[in-house]
Amino acid sequence: MIDWKSELTRKGHRVVLSGQPIAMHCHHYNINLQKTLEETLGDEGVRLMYRSVENAVFFSFKSLLEQYKKLKTLKSKLEMASILYQNSGLGIIHFQDVKSHGGQINSPASHHVTGWLAKHGRRNTPGCHFARGWIAGVLEAIFDRPIGYYSVNEPKCKMMRNDECVFDVKADAA
Amino acid sequence: MAIDGSKIIHAVMEGSRIRESKGIIPLFGVYLSLFPVHYYNMLSFDFEKMLGKHRSTEAESLLIKAAQECGYATFQGIRNSWEWEEIVAPMIDRKEDQVGGFTAVAIAFGWGDLVVKELIPDEKLVIHVGDSYEASGYISSYGIAKSSKCYMLRGVAGAFMDLIYGEDYPDGCFDFLAEESLCRAKGDEYCEFIARKSPH
Repeated sequence: MIDWKSELTRKGHRVVLSGQPIAMHCHHYNINLQKTLEETLGDEGVRLMYRSVENAVFFSFKSLLEQYKKLKTLKSKLEMASILYQNSGLGIIHFQDVKSHGGQINSPASHHVTGWLAKHGRRNTPGCHFARGWIAGVLEAIFDRPIGYYSVNEPKCKMMRNDECVFDVKADAA
Repeated sequence: MAIDGSKIIHAVMEGSRIRESKGIIPLFGVYLSLFPVHYYNMLSFDFEKMLGKHRSTEAESLLIKAAQECGYATFQGIRNSWEWEEIVAPMIDRKEDQVGGFTAVAIAFGWGDLVVKELIPDEKLVIHVGDSYEASGYISSYGIAKSSKCYMLRGVAGAFMDLIYGEDYPDGCFDFLAEESLCRAKGDEYCEFIARKSPH
């Protein structure tokens, strides 16, 4: 479905994924950024993280869909989103029941959960703000909706020691 | 022996294509993720903007601190990994050579075209970067900046010196601090990071 070897490449010193400049960062940096935002700005920091991921993935996934025009069905687009998530080292994501008005998504493992638990252990509130923003952005790209159209909540989170992360997606505009 | 950065870049590019069953990329002793630089830039620069002008120094130091702590833990993990042992260690004759290994990994990670310009053992490190993603991202979103903007690389430059000349891990973080004397985001030709012993 996606030729990863040709999608992930280098242009001189830059690393590009499907033509978009990317950076490789480890869990230390990603989790440090999340903690800095949460501790300094509280809910506003959480929203900033969500919005930044949503924005970045919206444009990068749109560009990927442009390149893979053969992907016409919702199933194939969602499958590509799962592959992208996994190949980017972000974890495993299952789009269980997703339609244009929303749905539910499960994630049994992720970079941020593994990183958070390794650095800080269990937390008392859901912490996958990155994954929430990622899901919103990718669905807005797939369903051709504007950024901010979907809101994604996380009623269950592995950072709280739930068995898996569960994300509820709703169309805000609905 | 000089550090052959191309070997390290090759190892990172090949390794980043391998993920385990949980969709995690374990490479050089850390869990790696691949994501558009636009995300990191928006996060940093909007964070700075949200804290406002009167808290701009705080925003800057928080972002540098997050990066320096990360750089310290990350590159400690990297230099203790089997990949480092196998690929980089054979190219290292003296401890100063580690800086060459660290910068090659940073280039491999897509952070910019880092070049070590000067290293005075236990005293000073000067790194030049012609195309840091932070400077490029700032210019494309906001135009020319009034102050330097490469917070991540600034923290990382300090961490390189902490690991080589600071107290033994984990007590040496912030033994050195870096400044960004020149920044492309301000209109300079390149970004310049100078790490020196911290006054504490």
